[in-house]
Amino acid sequence: MNTASSISGEWHNAQRAWLRISRRLVHWLEQPLVSAMMRRSAVDDVLSALHPLLSLSEVRARVVSVKVETFDTKTLMLQPNSHWQGARSGQFVRVQVEIQGKRHERAYSLSSAEGTGTLAITVKRQGLVSQYLHDNVKPGAVLTISQASGTFTLPNEDQQPLPERILLLSAGSGITPVMAILRSLHAQHYMGDVVFVHMCSNESDLIFSAELKRLQGQMPRLTLATHFSQIHGRLEPSRLRAIVPDLEHRSTWMCGPGAWMDRMHDYWQTELPAAALHSERFGSPPRMMVAVGDPAEISCTTSGRTFTAAGGDTLLVQAERAGLAPKHGCRMGICASCQCVKASGSVQNLVTGEVSSAANETIRLCISAARSDVTLAL
Amino acid sequence: MTYTALPALSRAQIDAIEQEVNAIRKSVMDTVGQADVDHIRKMIHICRASEITGRALLHFGFGPVSWVTGVLALANAKVLDNMEIGHNVMHGQYDWTGDPRLNSQTFKWDIACDEEQWRHSHNVNHHTHTNILGKDRDFGYSLLRLSSEQKWKPRHLLQPLANLILALGFQYGVGSHDLEVGRYKYGKVSKEAFKSKLDRFLQKCGRQWFKDYLFFPVLSLWNAPRVLVGNLCANLIRNLWTYVVIFCGHFTEGVALYRAEDCRNETRGDWYIRQLTGSSNLSGSRLFHIMTGHLSHQIEHHLFPDMPAHRYPEVAPQIQALCAKYGLRYNTGSLWKQYSTVLKRIFMHSLPSRAAPARA
Repeated sequence: MNTASSISGEWHNAQRAWLRISRRLVHWLEQPLVSAMMRRSAVDDVLSALHPLLSLSEVRARVVSVKVETFDTKTLMLQPNSHWQGARSGQFVRVQVEIQGKRHERAYSLSSAEGTGTLAITVKRQGLVSQYLHDNVKPGAVLTISQASGTFTLPNEDQQPLPERILLLSAGSGITPVMAILRSLHAQHYMGDVVFVHMCSNESDLIFSAELKRLQGQMPRLTLATHFSQIHGRLEPSRLRAIVPDLEHRSTWMCGPGAWMDRMHDYWQTELPAAALHSERFGSPPRMMVAVGDPAEISCTTSGRTFTAAGGDTLLVQAERAGLAPKHGCRMGICASCQCVKASGSVQNLVTGEVSSAANETIRLCISAARSDVTLAL
Repeated sequence: MTYTALPALSRAQIDAIEQEVNAIRKSVMDTVGQADVDHIRKMIHICRASEITGRALLHFGFGPVSWVTGVLALANAKVLDNMEIGHNVMHGQYDWTGDPRLNSQTFKWDIACDEEQWRHSHNVNHHTHTNILGKDRDFGYSLLRLSSEQKWKPRHLLQPLANLILALGFQYGVGSHDLEVGRYKYGKVSKEAFKSKLDRFLQKCGRQWFKDYLFFPVLSLWNAPRVLVGNLCANLIRNLWTYVVIFCGHFTEGVALYRAEDCRNETRGDWYIRQLTGSSNLSGSRLFHIMTGHLSHQIEHHLFPDMPAHRYPEVAPQIQALCAKYGLRYNTGSLWKQYSTVLKRIFMHSLPSRAAPARA
């Protein structure tokens, strides 16, 4: 017992020492004279070659196990390296993967409760990155993730006590952060009243079904209500009111598809203005595409300016017309001087004709025209 | 040399060339993916390993054999960093990966040239105005007279010597190119703009000298002279090699020169033709191509500057076929042949041209 704890104690000390050393190294490598001689990327590569979890500042996590939850959902259990700064239940991490040479990043809520050493992300197989995670990531793989972020959490116990009555409301893959919150409530022996309402297509689509049944047995004041949309249609606010009569006395944590949450938000605003409602929205809402030449609103995050792009002119010309002076060069798409990150929205490449709506994409302003409202890092 | 008479192409033919070149570009760019990223990362690893080996041999070795191998390994690293890696990454050929280490706007290379200034003089200026006399400042580097259209001045008599000095210190030539000293002297560049560029250039030079001529020699203690001279020779080898390869890109016999007035309202097809006829290639082995950073495929590079360079040999046969189809010259040859025509140009135009230049 003694040896095991002393080894784990020493390991803990080694990790903290590494944190101090790596921060120092990063600071030194940023000095111009030092970076002239040794690139930070070179040091990072050497560290990664020594051990895949080693990094100067990036959080890397090893996939410890993969659990199949439903026919299209898997949970990846991750063991992070020493750069991991912890997470509050309900927060998310951004997972970075490289697919066919290109880096992609997606946010996934941690379904694990805070305080557990191993992290869990529960991924539904539906898009490019989630398909990659399902098909290519096996135990032993190492992923690069961001630190945790997000405000969809229980109140900080030091600052204010937990509410006496809680409603956890989720739909589809929105169950992931809500499950983390429920696990956290269980771990801290929460004695208040919890109602958990979840909507999904049918019984086989219910993620965490076994664990939810188990928690019902372990938490006497937990009430579980599942709503299957294939049988009863979508969960409307009126139906919710019927399931949870004392809705106005509950603090609610809600997560699910955007349109459904919008309806819930409207209901709360009109019927329950005094009740606390916390919600988590995954990603930004998709933008409506416009026809060529129709006006589109361009929001520039760096300069804080917004202007309307009218006509089919390139974003570079439109920005200049609006009084901005973006960096530019050849103005014909070959020198990459005007490249800029498009946070969201659709643009068309006027040289290739390709339309792309990906988030956080680098585009060349001199050959791109807006095809929807666009947000640029300009 | 006169303005080259190009085969008369109809507007329809030029448009057809535009479509065909676009199609060739699309066929490669649609397939750009993991293999391309793996290639450039492999080049970066080889470059680093070569640098570490070279510097270690110079630092810790004794005797001439370890010195020569050390210098060659370090020179190899510097050449790869300058050509296959630096030039290509800063062209934006790998921006699509989203890897911040391969981003054209933040990449740093191991020569005495500020990266932002290089991107301006090369990506923006040279690639847009390729071979337009008076606009493409890369033609002769504002130093050498290479065609009879350029006005002869008595200083051109010394240009064989200027050429030698430029070759030996090529990294400084490249580094100071964007300062536009000539234009500054004629008052076309403001004092503030010039000073800020000069400061950045000198800062980069300072960092390079600190690294190669102070830090590493001092670090090696008693081996300081050996390391200092070794670093100097490695830089020299890189300078000479990059000079030869780059000069063979646009200064060989037969490259077309253009007048600014002929290039107004250029279509993309016109631009493609100007890029093609204004560039020349070098033939060689796969290793040779890598060591030139694929600038041996100058024609393909000028048609597709943001295509990962190691794909140029793939499209070269298609471009050659296109040239044959439309009667355009595909200017290529061995390194010796092409460079000898460059030298011939330098010597020939150090003297005033005998007859008035004939207009095409």
